[in-house]
Amino acid sequence: MKAMHATNNQKKTHKPKWNKRKRNEALWGLLFVSPFIIGFIGFMFLPMVFSFIGSFTNYNITSRMDFIGFDNFRRMFTNDQLFLTSLYNTVFYVILNVPLTTAGGVFLAVLLNRNIRGITIFRTIFYLPAILSGVAVYVLWMQLLSPSSGLINTVLSWVGIAGPSWLFDPNWTKPALILMRLWSVGGAMLLYLATLQNVPNQLYESAEVDGAGPFRKLRHITLPLITPIIFYDVITSTIGAFQIFQEAYVMTENGTGGPANSLLFYNLHMWNKAFVAFDMGYAMAMSLVLFAIVIVLTFINLKLAPRWVHY
Amino acid sequence: MIESSETKYVEDDASSASKAQSKYFKSKKRQERTGKILIYLLLVVVSLVLLAPLVWMLSTSLKPMAEIVRFPPTILPETFVWQNYMDTIQAFPFFKYMGNTLFITAFVVLGNVFSNSFIAYGFAKIDFPGKKILFALVLATMMVPGFVTMIPQYILFTRINWVGTYLPLIVPAFFGSAFNIFLLRQFYMSINNELIEAAQIDGANHLYIWSRLMVPLTKPALITVGIMSFNGAWNDFLGPLLYITKEEMYTLQIGLQSFSNQSTTQWNYLMAGATLVLIPSILLFFFAQKYFIEGMDLTGGTKG
Amino acid sequence: MKSKRSNQLIKHSLLLGSTVLLLAACGNGDDNSSSESASDGNDGRTTLEFWSFWGSGARRETIEAIIEDYNASQDAVTVEHVYQPWGDIWTKSLAAIAGGNAPDVIVQDINSVKQRAEANQATNIQEYLDADDISGDFYPQLWDTVLYEDEAYALPFNTDTQVLFYNKTAFEEAGLDPETPPATWDELEEMARVLDQGSGDSWEQIGFYPRWNIGADVWALNADGGNAWFDNSGEVAINTPEKVEALEWMLEWQDYYGRDTINQYEAEFGSGVSDPFISGLVSMRGQNINYYTNLVENAPDDFEFGVAPLPEKEEGSGNWSWGGGFVLEVPANTDHPEESYDFMKYLSSTEVQEEFGMNSFDIMANAEANENLKEHPDLDEMGQMIYELADSNLEVTTITPVPLNAPDFSSLVNTEIDAAFLGQKTAQEALDDAQESVENLAQ
Repeated sequence: MKAMHATNNQKKTHKPKWNKRKRNEALWGLLFVSPFIIGFIGFMFLPMVFSFIGSFTNYNITSRMDFIGFDNFRRMFTNDQLFLTSLYNTVFYVILNVPLTTAGGVFLAVLLNRNIRGITIFRTIFYLPAILSGVAVYVLWMQLLSPSSGLINTVLSWVGIAGPSWLFDPNWTKPALILMRLWSVGGAMLLYLATLQNVPNQLYESAEVDGAGPFRKLRHITLPLITPIIFYDVITSTIGAFQIFQEAYVMTENGTGGPANSLLFYNLHMWNKAFVAFDMGYAMAMSLVLFAIVIVLTFINLKLAPRWVHY
Repeated sequence: MIESSETKYVEDDASSASKAQSKYFKSKKRQERTGKILIYLLLVVVSLVLLAPLVWMLSTSLKPMAEIVRFPPTILPETFVWQNYMDTIQAFPFFKYMGNTLFITAFVVLGNVFSNSFIAYGFAKIDFPGKKILFALVLATMMVPGFVTMIPQYILFTRINWVGTYLPLIVPAFFGSAFNIFLLRQFYMSINNELIEAAQIDGANHLYIWSRLMVPLTKPALITVGIMSFNGAWNDFLGPLLYITKEEMYTLQIGLQSFSNQSTTQWNYLMAGATLVLIPSILLFFFAQKYFIEGMDLTGGTKG
Repeated sequence: MKSKRSNQLIKHSLLLGSTVLLLAACGNGDDNSSSESASDGNDGRTTLEFWSFWGSGARRETIEAIIEDYNASQDAVTVEHVYQPWGDIWTKSLAAIAGGNAPDVIVQDINSVKQRAEANQATNIQEYLDADDISGDFYPQLWDTVLYEDEAYALPFNTDTQVLFYNKTAFEEAGLDPETPPATWDELEEMARVLDQGSGDSWEQIGFYPRWNIGADVWALNADGGNAWFDNSGEVAINTPEKVEALEWMLEWQDYYGRDTINQYEAEFGSGVSDPFISGLVSMRGQNINYYTNLVENAPDDFEFGVAPLPEKEEGSGNWSWGGGFVLEVPANTDHPEESYDFMKYLSSTEVQEEFGMNSFDIMANAEANENLKEHPDLDEMGQMIYELADSNLEVTTITPVPLNAPDFSSLVNTEIDAAFLGQKTAQEALDDAQESVENLAQ
């Protein structure tokens, strides 16, 4: 650092001052972003390279690391029933989760986007669940979803519905998790709200003059304006939903996968392979497949974007 | 934001009142009023639905077990059993785990605030070759699922003997994270370059400009990053689950999880435990709401 | 201004530097303490780190008292007990072995010793046994589990067996003889029908449900002469007629009470007050024999219960049961295997095993210790009876070490069994499919 400082203050050189300044700037720039570069290489790039190589081995940390070609990948699709189960569960969850949370976020944002008294209080309430996370939230929902003493089935019983067993019935475990996810949809809501609040009021007013009702305004003004955010939200929540793990781990007693493996998600299976069976090679191959899936989906999203995203 | 919206509200009212003679506007006003009532009704219903879980948690945490299993359940406790909280605190070393969690959290917050503002300044205010590509790389890392690097990272930390220490939870925070870099870069971009140029003419270098000029100017943004890091570290479960090996080093999340495994369906204690763990996040939210909301506003860097 | 700026610069560098140093220090601190514990302490004694998952209650107190005695009994070694939660202990130990800072002795699952031996995760202790053969102290089926290629890699510590607990008060109230528990599956069903109170989805008392607290695999093994999914000769034996019948029998129970009802009740099961056997909801249940401690601790004083072997499928088929257990193992590449073995031997000795058993009601691996506990003066009549039953039940208890050629086969079987209970497959189809996929895995 001292050396750099010194060059900065050297007055006499043969090169034009401009070039030296530029070079100096570049060095400063690299210094500032160096933590990212180091972190990227150390915690991301090299691990990923290792993971890639490891995917083709039977690495188990303690005794072996033999190259076995595509055997891990072959096993996934031909020999590991649970892999297919976990993939199915995850895709099922993503397909249910992404549209519902996106719609939920937009709905709350539209509801909040008006200039009426006390709206900030509602905004606070809507957003509060989104900042709560972790084991405490899962434990709370285990109680809410409890078949006989939980809040949800209690409320359902008031209107004469016998609620399902939620986390104990393989048909209802995934919807139960979606319900929990919907509770904290306020994060996405704020993204939408920020954009909506920048929409000039005249747009709506002139639409009203043209006789547009609330639904036409929503369909033709509001939604097109927030499509870029929907796009961002869909991409990130797809990636997020594919990584579902903690909920299933905490809510099914040490990651056993719940009734009839209905909560055995992709990452839970990978976790069990890696840290219970210590089949690291196989688990790394699974992570590679997950990465490929995410890339392909993001790519598809990007390709489809021009059809519906209005910039 | 409150002020601006309310003045608008008043203006709207006044302007429409002045035009109230016209029948068209009269009926429209009535329509607006019913519309407004409907909106309020909807807002209240949604709020109730979203708040119900937390109220229920609090209420259950104060009930005796016999009241919880009774059918139909009571909404509010008939008898308040504050002892539930005492029992829960004694059932697992709550304060010890809280201390451990605070220790980790403090370092993570420090690391995140420091490294991200440092890195973001580099991306926002200094020109160097390859910057665009490097920044694209920052954004690209947001798309990499955490589980992809989790296993090799674990192997790495195993090899360098960091498993069983807090290092794997703390050290990565000192190397920046994509979302925070992005957020802070937005803030730095909104700051006028003239200030920097003036300082440079005075002979100030970038380290000086960053620490003396930029950090004070971007305080709100840094607080946002700090608060989000606090929340992230406080609620982190996966990291401690993988890397902490000794009971006395547990965090609250791990403690609560093992407590929940031990006390299945003892909802009074479990809800008391959940409440205790959530309280810091809830308090922080109410005191620093503004910063949470700014953190989510990707487009609004300029507002800071 | 310039000097001021340099000062600032130095200040910031110092701040950054000290942060990094502090971090390194807290990392090193941990390293130091763990390496210290693995090597010599200040007083010239070797410190051994001992990991168990006995985190609370009688087991923790007992093992810590035993360790204290051991530390006092000699002056070469100090053993330090480290608790690791159940489930995490295996993961953490493997990480420690891989990282080269493994504990010296660890309580491991009895069923996977061979696997760890094969993967170089455990230390071969045959040389110490050659010098002083104590293998005869243990139940033979337990000793078998610690051998890999005829050499020992662990010492058995304890085991368990599944038995039937029944509520005597409920028996009396229903007009059944509280001293005559069901002996066969048919009797079990008859008695359960007498004990049942309620209907539809609302029951005050449920006589019996086979899948509560005991796995489908145990009933399959019970029906099939003690042969587990891999039979006694190591062949895949999943779709045997007896096992199919056992699964059909369990499905009948589910149909009788209804799947939703079962789920509803199961969701509220817990420990202590929410224990359905203690609360009187369930009158009979199959369970690990050391559930007895749970009853002693949590049941009200006037709670009367009996313990019996699992009923046999039909007269003469045998009261076969299943057991697990734990061993003491020295992880691979530790510094003090000899001292570690000495400590393990101490833990396996008759007196220590007796002490541990008396407080935990685990069945100890040391046969003599169990013999002694049957008439131990410090145990009450019921306690002695438990050991009597345990000892005789071990004759019909199968231990199921994980086969080396198909270590994770059980998830495949469980998937199929779940499918049967969900009504997606018949018992025969489910077990046929399981047979096929496990054979496929094992070859």
